Amino acid sequence: MSTPPVKLFRINTGSCNGCDVEFVATAFVDKFQISSMNVELVENVEESNLLVITGPLTSKSESFLKKYISKLKKPYAVVGVGTCSISCGIFRDSYSINGPIDKFIDVNVNVAGCPPRPESIAEGIAKGIKVLELKSEGEETPQKIEQILIGFEAPKKFRGRMSLNETICTACRTCETVCPSTAIKITKTQNGFIHNIWHNSCCYCGNCAFFCPTGAIYSTNNFDTVKLQNEKFSDLNTGIINLSTCSSCGESYMPPSSGLLGKAYIHNNLKKLNKSICSKCRKEENFKRMYA
Amino acid sequence: MSKQITIGPFHPELEESVYFKLEADENRVVTKVNVINGFIHRGMESLVTKKNFMQNLILTERVCSLCSNNHPFTYVLAAEKIAGVQIPLRAEALRVVADEVKRTASDLFNLSMLTHLAHEHDLMKDTLNTRELMQDLKESIWGNRMDMSVNQLTGVKYDLNDETVKTILDTATKVEERVLKLREDYNNSTSFKDKTVGVGVLPHKDALEIGVTGPVARGSGINNDVRVKAPYSLYAIRPELQPKVTLFEEGDVFARAMARFGDILEALRILKDVVSNLPDGKTYLEKRPHIPAGEAVVRTEAPRGELIYYLKTDGSQKPVRMRWKVPTFTNWEALKVMILGDKVDNVTMILNSIDPCISCTER
Ligand code: SF4
Ligand code: SF4
Ligand code: SF4
Repeated sequence: MSTPPVKLFRINTGSCNGCDVEFVATAFVDKFQISSMNVELVENVEESNLLVITGPLTSKSESFLKKYISKLKKPYAVVGVGTCSISCGIFRDSYSINGPIDKFIDVNVNVAGCPPRPESIAEGIAKGIKVLELKSEGEETPQKIEQILIGFEAPKKFRGRMSLNETICTACRTCETVCPSTAIKITKTQNGFIHNIWHNSCCYCGNCAFFCPTGAIYSTNNFDTVKLQNEKFSDLNTGIINLSTCSSCGESYMPPSSGLLGKAYIHNNLKKLNKSICSKCRKEENFKRMYA
Repeated sequence: MSKQITIGPFHPELEESVYFKLEADENRVVTKVNVINGFIHRGMESLVTKKNFMQNLILTERVCSLCSNNHPFTYVLAAEKIAGVQIPLRAEALRVVADEVKRTASDLFNLSMLTHLAHEHDLMKDTLNTRELMQDLKESIWGNRMDMSVNQLTGVKYDLNDETVKTILDTATKVEERVLKLREDYNNSTSFKDKTVGVGVLPHKDALEIGVTGPVARGSGINNDVRVKAPYSLYAIRPELQPKVTLFEEGDVFARAMARFGDILEALRILKDVVSNLPDGKTYLEKRPHIPAGEAVVRTEAPRGELIYYLKTDGSQKPVRMRWKVPTFTNWEALKVMILGDKVDNVTMILNSIDPCISCTER
């Protein structure tokens, strides 16, 4: 006896259509492996047991989403596709956004990306099916599901999960300023700074990397952004930026980047500068050099 | 006896959420059209005034992911107009490269959806697989399949080298061959033509009255391509790049599809020409401009037609006002003419034939 297919229904709660377009590609292009999964796209939400939801949930969509949810029959699994669906992403601060969707429905799997690659959407659906199977057998949703689909690769230039080289970051906050979806938060601590990137709010635009004066923040081509709901807030990249100790006066200070020094001392050979002194001592040294 | 029929707001045949309340007679012919909008309203006009000029490079991209290059492109043109900066020639060329790549992919997606809704499975697969070539190209050079993150104030964020130019040329040649073949297949498929010829007709006169733009206008015999009528960027510097648009008189779903084929082939020609003749020089100006107080209006040709940006600044880091007139705004009105008197079962296909971008329109 063959198992009945999983019945998938997609709800767009106000997406920029990127995620929906890529969902279509995922569903109909063979290389994304959906055809091997025994899923069927259905016309009525009543028949479905796998919901794919995109978008940040606009106020107008809210009542309709609730109505559609009330028609679902248990057990069902929910996959949120796109950064918007997880955290409202780039639209979070708007008056007309009532999401994220997990305020109204128990989401099981989140697929971050803006839009995510079809490979990631397919993985999200595969994980959703896994959760559904477990639910049908009366089991709890696990804390983690290992990667299901294999054989996918991303091109070198793909803008995936952001990463930070904490040794060259100077906590200048440029990245925080240019990030359109407030995914970066830099906090001052006693010994320096903590630099956090929240992957579930990031829209993978690369703005931070482009404008960063030191090249400390960069995109990797890692597209492992399909996570279970319990990992929603812990999927961070945390960098610890320590202050240095001034070799002259012993005070703690944040060293400037060589890029910045290069701009300040255009006529000097940077190699000759003593780089490990604080700004106060540098002022003094400069004064002596020029007038002593 | 008239019957009430509702479609949406969430429906597998609707890419974006919209709610149709139709009335139809006993032959399922539509007698009244009522459309309820607002599902994709994200308050973008307010949001852009809360973000700085750098953040808006990306936020404007998320107005709509299908014309996600045209939005930031038009936005930076407006900001540069206010700041009075002239960008390097190479940057102009690179902007147009990205734009024509997006146009090709966007039009191919629309055709895939059309054949999907017409239940022409093989044509749909072929079209979608052809689009995949463009998607792979975008991902390998710009890092994402939809949002290319190309534009910045005073230029672009990326550059091309011999290797990437070759990748683009190879892909464009391959896509061109397949598009020519696809156009032939569409023309030779009697079942596809049966479903689309004479369906959703927008007569020339109505098209003029409503002021439709883009492929919808070209399908009804009107040429108002902004790249030709009011050239900007490289289209103004090198007039020979301007597209030789293909016009059709029939004004039906089929004609609009064919107009898109014309657009794709011209986009590929422009693309190949520009990457083969890339000017030397910088990709952006080192000095970032201060955007003074001012106002600007700029228009460009998006894959769906004319896109207008209004930008007002006050010398601070954020816009005071930004407003759009998007192609779908005018094309949407034409739907009422197209759907009325047609079959209920054709509604989603007719909707698709204007290549609606609801996320642009409701933003
Ligand atoms: S996650 Fe990004 S691509 Fe997807 S709907 Fe939101 S803004 Fe669009
Ligand atoms: S990552 Fe770059 S931009 Fe961000 S704080 Fe560090 S140095 Fe500055
Ligand atoms: S890529 Fe960088 S700038 Fe863009 S959303 Fe992510 S953290 Fe922010």
